[in-house]
Amino acid sequence: MTTRSPVIELRQITKTFGNFTAVHSIDLSIGEGEFFTIVGPSGSGKTTVLRMLAGLESPTSGDILLRGQRINDVPANRRPTCMVFQSLALFPHRTVGQNIEFPLKIRDVPPAERRQRALQLMAQLRLPEDYYGKNVTKCSGGERQRVALARALAYNPDTLFFDEPLSAIDYKLRKTLEKELKDIHRETGKTFIYITHSLEEAMVMSDRIGVMRSGRLVQVGTPNEIYTSPNSKFVSEFIGDVNIIPVRLNGGSKLQSDDLGAEFTAPGMPSGFSAGHLVVRPESLRIIDRREDAENVLTGKLYNEYALGSRIQYQVRVGEQVFIVERLRQQALNKQRDSEVMIGWNARDSILVGD
Amino acid sequence: MSPAERSQRWRAALLWAWALSVVVFMYLPAVCLLLASSTSSRYFIFPITRWGFDWWQKTFDSIQIHELFKTSISIALLVTVIAVTIAFFGALAFARYDWKGRSLYQKIVLLPIFFPQSVLGLALLLWFNALGLPLSWKTAVFAHLVWIVPVVTLVISIQVYSFDPALEEAAFDLGATRWQVMKEVTLPVLFPGIFSGCLFAFLLSWGNFPLSLFTTGADTTVPEYLYAKMVAGYTPGVPVLGTVSTITAAILLLGGYGLIVLRRRARLK
Amino acid sequence: MAEVSAQDAIAAPARPAKAPVWRLRAGPANAVPIILFLLIGFAAPLAAVIGYSVMPPRTFSLWQAPTLDNYESVFNSTSYISFLWSLGLAAVTVLLLALICYPVAYGLTRVFGRWATLLTLLFTIPLFVSENVRLYGWILFFIKNGVLLGTLKSWFGVELESWLFTEGIIVLGMVYVYLPFMLFPMTLGVSMVPTETRDAAFDLGATRWQVFKEVDLPLSMPGIIIGFLLSFVLAVGAIAEAKVLGGQQVIPITHDIEIAFTYAQNWPLGSALAVLLMLVVGALVLLVLRRFDLDIILGRR
Repeated sequence: MTTRSPVIELRQITKTFGNFTAVHSIDLSIGEGEFFTIVGPSGSGKTTVLRMLAGLESPTSGDILLRGQRINDVPANRRPTCMVFQSLALFPHRTVGQNIEFPLKIRDVPPAERRQRALQLMAQLRLPEDYYGKNVTKCSGGERQRVALARALAYNPDTLFFDEPLSAIDYKLRKTLEKELKDIHRETGKTFIYITHSLEEAMVMSDRIGVMRSGRLVQVGTPNEIYTSPNSKFVSEFIGDVNIIPVRLNGGSKLQSDDLGAEFTAPGMPSGFSAGHLVVRPESLRIIDRREDAENVLTGKLYNEYALGSRIQYQVRVGEQVFIVERLRQQALNKQRDSEVMIGWNARDSILVGD
Repeated sequence: MSPAERSQRWRAALLWAWALSVVVFMYLPAVCLLLASSTSSRYFIFPITRWGFDWWQKTFDSIQIHELFKTSISIALLVTVIAVTIAFFGALAFARYDWKGRSLYQKIVLLPIFFPQSVLGLALLLWFNALGLPLSWKTAVFAHLVWIVPVVTLVISIQVYSFDPALEEAAFDLGATRWQVMKEVTLPVLFPGIFSGCLFAFLLSWGNFPLSLFTTGADTTVPEYLYAKMVAGYTPGVPVLGTVSTITAAILLLGGYGLIVLRRRARLK
Repeated sequence: MAEVSAQDAIAAPARPAKAPVWRLRAGPANAVPIILFLLIGFAAPLAAVIGYSVMPPRTFSLWQAPTLDNYESVFNSTSYISFLWSLGLAAVTVLLLALICYPVAYGLTRVFGRWATLLTLLFTIPLFVSENVRLYGWILFFIKNGVLLGTLKSWFGVELESWLFTEGIIVLGMVYVYLPFMLFPMTLGVSMVPTETRDAAFDLGATRWQVFKEVDLPLSMPGIIIGFLLSFVLAVGAIAEAKVLGGQQVIPITHDIEIAFTYAQNWPLGSALAVLLMLVVGALVLLVLRRFDLDIILGRR
């Protein structure tokens, strides 16, 4: 992705509200046509970053560059960027057509041309033509979503920002709209910057992902990089169920877990490592029959099982800790609760991280 | 600071200046009354040459004034109790329950607020006369209620709108009787609205003139007395009582809301 | 819940089944007291006024043969001048109030933050002092040797004629008395405009003026219209301002009505005038209120 010329660059952007630092010295460069997603829990400062990019908030210090031009002082209505808001912010007193035409009306585009462009966008976003005169408050959630996107596209921006627009939509529709959004990204070739608190959503759509925590950007990478090599316990936990074992360095290359009273073979060790967490994903953890089947082995009791559709999740209790193991439905384990099971994994399937 | 932020600050400063000028405008007459009440001379000439609180002393020593206060407070207290009781149920019908005819009901309830009070006072005078009721402070209570009940209903309704009916259903589901639901859930949750309603009822009755004018008969309230004195010629007793009225209203309102804030804070801790 | 008896506990499961019936009836049931009260306290007096307006002039009983004499004498009199004064003064007052209140309403909603509550309370307090007392404060301010002219004279040596007893002062008094009635509905209206919707318009290229025209104004319209209506209706019924500050230079319709009732002792004539005023006010209120869903304005649901 680094081969693309940067459209947007953030240089040591900081934003404070009174005593509170919402965004802490962020450096980021986003390439032309990229789908970049910022992920973080609520209060991590991701919305503030987006609002600064859109021009609705100005940074306390640092610079925002658009194609090399400093745009800190350019107000939102003069920036060639446009935002789709969390609430969608559709104009409730206007029809679908009038909403989409709004940015064109602002620029004094003649009515006939506005209408033509609006209908074109509606077709592109699969909104029926007769919705043109429909009251926007009478539209369903998914339709409103499309109207908001059409309105933003009507502005013909270089870059589109999305502030968790799908957060209030039910699971199934959200999945459809995520794919549609990705299609629109591909068709328009515009740069998309998206924020969400769901790493799962980010994974589906993004070229690259930036993870934010407490106003800092803690990791930036492709979805694959974020998934396979998280650089902290925080990032690894963010991707959903994961097994985390607190460990410390024991002698030369072994890891000691004091809670479990066990010793593990480590994957590649970061230099200067002394204590941290060993991360094992549920699909890397296996239920095994013989101690020799895996490099690292623990013995525990089968605690509970959940059907996840195509897979089954097992919870195994080892001492005070519960481990999560996943198997395909076809390989279901026929064991009673509380029966003893052995779980194991190979060193290369685990990741060693700091806090 | 960026230019955008600078212009935003400017705008905020202008808005502040404007709002504060309006506050000054609203309180200028009260300040004039205070000034006029703090002179020892019989006539008001500004700048004041002889400061003093003689007129405060004289006014408070007057037995007639005590009677006025008694009448005004009795009316206001009675109005508060009756208005809040009727308005509480009225507000539940206004904002809590969904029922056929509610939209029409809401507009009917608000109608008296949109009605010139002087005309309303005369209408009530005719009505009392037609019924053959002798005019006294009791008929004035009724007259005040006609205007104040709708206002208090509106005040309580705003609180009721933010009330989650699921709370009542949960209490019901947990075995409470209707009365217990009311006592344990509805009333405490709606308390701030009811309290505001009490304040509004008391103060609006306390300060009312147009409705009292035609309906009190031989009894006199403080605003009526003030009006009579004003028309009859200047006496520094008028600014004194005017200032007392303003300060009473300010203390009750600010104190009342102070209590609500304190209560909320105490509960958060 | 310790004192729940065994019998209650057994009866408990039956309650949820009863609940829906109770809730269906609860709405109208709660409305009964206030409706009854308004029937005898509001509708009946208005009916009495209408009744008196068709009684023979200068009589005090409701049970006589109806006549339209009073209306005839109203239309043959100069009362229309008073009507025009009342409507004109109210219209000017409402326009001034709109200009004065909008920036304050905007500030209360978007700029003043935690100070907004205190400011709102400050704007509320004057409502609770009777208006003639507050208008009297203005007399002390404007009167010869009063706060304004006295200060000018003693500090700057400027001597001016008092502005009391002019139309301008009447309007000032009305603006002053009815300000909260414009401000509060307007603030409610302005707070109905979601911040994100304004941001979106701005982000889509609108200038500040365009945001105001396309988003702020239409979306806060319900509150603004209620403010207009409330302050206009109350201002049409105003009487104290003209009497106290205007020195009877201008006679509003309410004053005509009061004179008919008091000095002239002609209740039927006063009633006829009151009925005409009620018609104007009532028609206006019903016309405007009919279009509104009060749930949206008050409850923001």
